[in-house]
Amino acid sequence: MGAILETRGLRREFGALVAVDDVDLSIEEATLHSIIGPNGAGKTTLFNLISGTLAPTRGKVFYKGEDITGHPIHQTIHKGIGRSFQITNIFPNLTVLENVRLAVQATGKDSFRMLAPHLRFSDYLDRATEVLARVGLADRALQIAGTLPHGDQRKLELGMILAPDPDVLMLDEPTAGMAAEQVPQLMELIQEIQAAGGRTVVLVEHNMSVVMTVSDRITVMHQGGVLAEGTPAEISADRQVQTAYLGALYGDVVRGGGR
Amino acid sequence: MLTAERGPRALWRRRRGVVYMALALLMFPFVISLLVDGQGIASVWNNDLGNARFLQGLAIEVFILGLFAISYDLLLGVAGIISFGHAMFFAVGAYGFGIMLKSFELHWVIALLLVGVLAVLQALLFAILLPRVKGLTFALVTLGIAAVFWIVISSSDLAQWAGAEIGLQGVETPVWFLDTTNHRFVFYLLVAAIMLGVYVLYTKIADSPMGRVLVSVRENEDRSLMLGYNTFWFKTAALIVSSLTAALAGVLHTMHQPIVTPNVAGLTFAITVLLMVLIGGAGTISGALVGAAVYRLLNFYLDKWFGGASGLLVGLVFVLLVLYLPYGIVGTWRVKKAGIKEGRARLRRMFERALSRS
Repeated sequence: MGAILETRGLRREFGALVAVDDVDLSIEEATLHSIIGPNGAGKTTLFNLISGTLAPTRGKVFYKGEDITGHPIHQTIHKGIGRSFQITNIFPNLTVLENVRLAVQATGKDSFRMLAPHLRFSDYLDRATEVLARVGLADRALQIAGTLPHGDQRKLELGMILAPDPDVLMLDEPTAGMAAEQVPQLMELIQEIQAAGGRTVVLVEHNMSVVMTVSDRITVMHQGGVLAEGTPAEISADRQVQTAYLGALYGDVVRGGGR
Repeated sequence: MLTAERGPRALWRRRRGVVYMALALLMFPFVISLLVDGQGIASVWNNDLGNARFLQGLAIEVFILGLFAISYDLLLGVAGIISFGHAMFFAVGAYGFGIMLKSFELHWVIALLLVGVLAVLQALLFAILLPRVKGLTFALVTLGIAAVFWIVISSSDLAQWAGAEIGLQGVETPVWFLDTTNHRFVFYLLVAAIMLGVYVLYTKIADSPMGRVLVSVRENEDRSLMLGYNTFWFKTAALIVSSLTAALAGVLHTMHQPIVTPNVAGLTFAITVLLMVLIGGAGTISGALVGAAVYRLLNFYLDKWFGGASGLLVGLVFVLLVLYLPYGIVGTWRVKKAGIKEGRARLRRMFERALSRS
């Protein structure tokens, strides 16, 4: 299998700060690839560069061999890259179903129709209902999304990303802020979704035990660059990773977390 | 679970309000003529002077304001776009139509089509601003553009066309059914029909796939972008529809009023439309019509009863309405158990979101 997502010499500077420092990354198709590293290592910036939220200072992003560098986010999603954020990002005043239905509708060609009732497009509704069942929110469909407990909001967000049936899911700390007992359930769901559709999942995650159990491959980032890459076994055995990562982690607590 | 109801029964359930309203508006002049004027039904046809004729005139003003307000609700209430230049959308229709008829002696159909073109152009002018200036800056830039427009149409250099500060007058009625003086009842029915038609159209738009995308833009534009919607084009479409409607209201205004003053392009009128939408309930569509009626009637009767002090009273009533009915009249009716606190918070969020877009 080849790489579905690749970056070459990807770099982003914010003034004097090099947030992402010439990163060459290669994500194999149909794998679960985790990116770890202390706060401020550049993980989220890397995500932003790949998904099109940010333009790189230089370097290229390739998706299925095509150069997608600098494509805005509403285009990358149509190509098959779905992306979630650290902070839950939903439509809190709309129903759970409508949140997902809007995500499904975006994949179709009917969004400029202005005279037909939106509920008449039953394909979108059916698909949205199916996705809600997939993420375990079927019985919450008509609830206002903002009133869901946090864990369910994360699931809803996963559903919104899943709705257009993407080939690549980029999940930025999907378990952030979740109660510890809910984490395994969500990770199981993510693994299922990845395995079922032969999808590729790129995961940024802080929870080490989670990362070590679910990942096929792990990239360790440190100060904007790639420190190491390998299987979970290789990474946990890597001395350099241990010292740098743990050292940076403790240093980071003092500095405060960044994004 | 959720489906679009079809069939005649569902259609009746959805639209019976419009039918009742149409019947009520149809009967209104006759009822006034019989009960208030003590005249027969024929007096409505004969265009006799009296309360019936006068109140039809007032109703036409309400309908025109309603059209204008509904066009603003699509932007503010549905899509969450705050423009302070909306009066210009109205004034372009009012002045454009009048000047084309009076100074260029165009056929009214041609003039109407050209007004449509102008309306689309001004919507595009606002649209190109959208990706460049957002939130509060967008609101202020629209205010600036409208102010320039006001200066232009009230300038003495253009007096031979626009009538400077006095306003545009002497526009002759091009066709009998637009004649508010000699065929008031027909004009009344026409404007009422246009208002109800536009109302039905707007409720359809709000419920359509495009309307839902606009709501998603209002609620969380970043998220909407991330779902894959190029929100720029949706907002542009909303601006075009809104501009066409407002310009149509302006055209009818020119037909109804002997003088079109520069006030219709002024800031006060832009605030008026915001008020009408807030009074009725932003995002409710029908609220815009209710708000227009409340606004115009309150203005009229307070002025009649209190004269000079009415301005203060009108302002006071509006402040109280927005403070204590933050969902608006129709919005409160819909939410039923609307709390004032939640309503205020919602209103504040709506403005904050719209004004702080990045």
